[in-house]
Amino acid sequence: MADPVITTIEIILMVPVALILGVLFLFLFRKLNARFQWRVGPVIRMYSDLAPLIGKTRIWQPLYDILKLFGKDTIITDVAHRRLFVYSPYFSLLFAISAAFFIPFPGMELLSSVPYSLVIASYLIISSILFTILGPVASGSPWGAIGARREVELFLVSELSFVLSIFSIALSSGTLVISEIAGRGWSAPSILLSLTSGLLLFVAMLGKLHIKPFDMPEAEAEIVAGPYTEYSGKLLGIYFLSKTFLTYVLVALFIALILPPASTSIFWLPAWAFAAMVLVFLLTVVQVLNPRYRINNALYWYVKVVIPVGLVSFIIAFFIRVVA
Amino acid sequence: MGIIDRARVYSPWLYHLHCGGCNGCDIETLAALAPRFDAERFGIQLVASPRHADILVTTGCVPKQFIPMVKRVYEQVPEPKVVVAIGGCACGGSLFYEEEPENYAILGSPDLMIPVDVYVPGCAPKPEQIINGIVQGILKLAAKGSSRKRREV
Amino acid sequence: MSVPAKILKQVLSRYSSPMTLKYPSGVDPSKKYSQIPEGLRGVPERDAEKCVGCRACFMVCSGRATRIIDLGDKRTVSIFLFRCTYCAHCQESCPEEALKMTSKFEFTIGEREDKGAYVDTDLEMLRCKSCNTAFLPKKMEKRVFERLQEKMNPLVKEVVLSDYKKLEGYCPECRRARSTNFDTHTKKWLWLEVK
Repeated sequence: MADPVITTIEIILMVPVALILGVLFLFLFRKLNARFQWRVGPVIRMYSDLAPLIGKTRIWQPLYDILKLFGKDTIITDVAHRRLFVYSPYFSLLFAISAAFFIPFPGMELLSSVPYSLVIASYLIISSILFTILGPVASGSPWGAIGARREVELFLVSELSFVLSIFSIALSSGTLVISEIAGRGWSAPSILLSLTSGLLLFVAMLGKLHIKPFDMPEAEAEIVAGPYTEYSGKLLGIYFLSKTFLTYVLVALFIALILPPASTSIFWLPAWAFAAMVLVFLLTVVQVLNPRYRINNALYWYVKVVIPVGLVSFIIAFFIRVVA
Repeated sequence: MGIIDRARVYSPWLYHLHCGGCNGCDIETLAALAPRFDAERFGIQLVASPRHADILVTTGCVPKQFIPMVKRVYEQVPEPKVVVAIGGCACGGSLFYEEEPENYAILGSPDLMIPVDVYVPGCAPKPEQIINGIVQGILKLAAKGSSRKRREV
Repeated sequence: MSVPAKILKQVLSRYSSPMTLKYPSGVDPSKKYSQIPEGLRGVPERDAEKCVGCRACFMVCSGRATRIIDLGDKRTVSIFLFRCTYCAHCQESCPEEALKMTSKFEFTIGEREDKGAYVDTDLEMLRCKSCNTAFLPKKMEKRVFERLQEKMNPLVKEVVLSDYKKLEGYCPECRRARSTNFDTHTKKWLWLEVK
């Protein structure tokens, strides 16, 4: 493990970095989404005559959304279980931020070299999502409850995909420490493994970030806003903040596990940024090309795709392990 | 201007409340949000729950059976909020509203029960006019100042 | 160029620039609006010089947006734009062609009582000589007289005009009370017939 002082500094530095990167990823996601729909999306350079009135750029649009929500009333219904309703967003944010500490960023090793960091990181991600389920359940709103139920089902299957993916990689490299996995070398079978388990992790990301075929928890045409229906003001802002961090965490985890050397040293930063942008681009392509699945379709789809690919992935990982 | 006050101008979220009427204004409102006039350029988004909204966009005149819903949706929008009435029916009742004799089914424009900040008259207004009205609403929103109360409902 | 390359080029050219207008910004004024079709009916405008307050627009207004408000010596012809449906019936029916639909559409109003929400014209009223009630806009009286002269049968012109001098300035009620003095009163013609 690295020097504790450096680790502390890195951890303190990681929070703004993760926030900024998460906001930029979400902005890129929205912008690309808009361009695929033949429109402009949040403007990068505001028109010269409007700039003094409404600001020069909208690159920080997701951050403005969150900040605005902090300046609004918070409404709490009396049917809600108060304590759970109020504290769930905070816990969700807490776990999302602490998950960011276990994932290496180019130039920052953070806590990724502690033993079993892969297990810790995956548990923190799971906990963060769990609290986005608990809050809505406590809100007492039927829409929140339906959204939370869908979220649970989606969470279970996407977790299957997630776990199969990260543990086949862990099996192939024989370690549960993220920094060691992120520093592993390349070989012909490991490229194949990266493909299969990368696909699994990508599919898991779709479910966790509610990208289009799997956005049924937030299906605004059917169940208002799903889990977030009863949330308003600051609490909603904290959920959005937690989602911003989670976006960063999943993208960083994908690059750390699937594209090995990219998050080990500061010199790999351009490659890391490029990979992240490509990943967000791919997420956007999936989002714009797909309609929303029904929840049962999504379950079948996950089982149909994930189990064969997961098996192939495990066989490759086992093969690499035995040969090595 | 503080960062939160500025953020409020930068990201107004709309909740579209259709009270009644002929759907013409709703089509135009959606046209104002669609790619041709892409309102997301300025951070304007259509949200599904009134609890997330800053600007309540109402269209159509209010039937008497719909009065409680209008009031309830208005109360659910957290402060600071602005109401933009779109179309002749939402502004003054238009064809459907009569003072004398009173219509048995139609109450009239929503400003008889909730405070309306910006009126966008027209039958139906062009999308440009609607965007103009929403911009006026944003300017009023900026003037209202932030609120961080916790309201129990 | 091969066919797939052509298709690719077309697709790329289609998606290379978004279709969004720059609307609220007027950087390029000629491209500010999407499309203003010819004959777009926008806010009606009234020529205060031409309007005589004849109530024709009030009679045909489908949304009941037009109102006639008589207050003492003043008649206000008013269109409440919040209720106006831009149907242009008033433009069609106006005998003086005072009303015109403009293509102005980009306007919003903050309050119900705002002056911008009304298209108003104030007219001075004529008072009856005997009972002193305001009954007709002065302009309308003048205009009716002009029209009368234009369209009258030359045979009866002299009689009618002399009668008109007698009844000038009386309200319809008082006119009826004095009608027996007129040369055009039916009674006189009846008497002639009998004779």
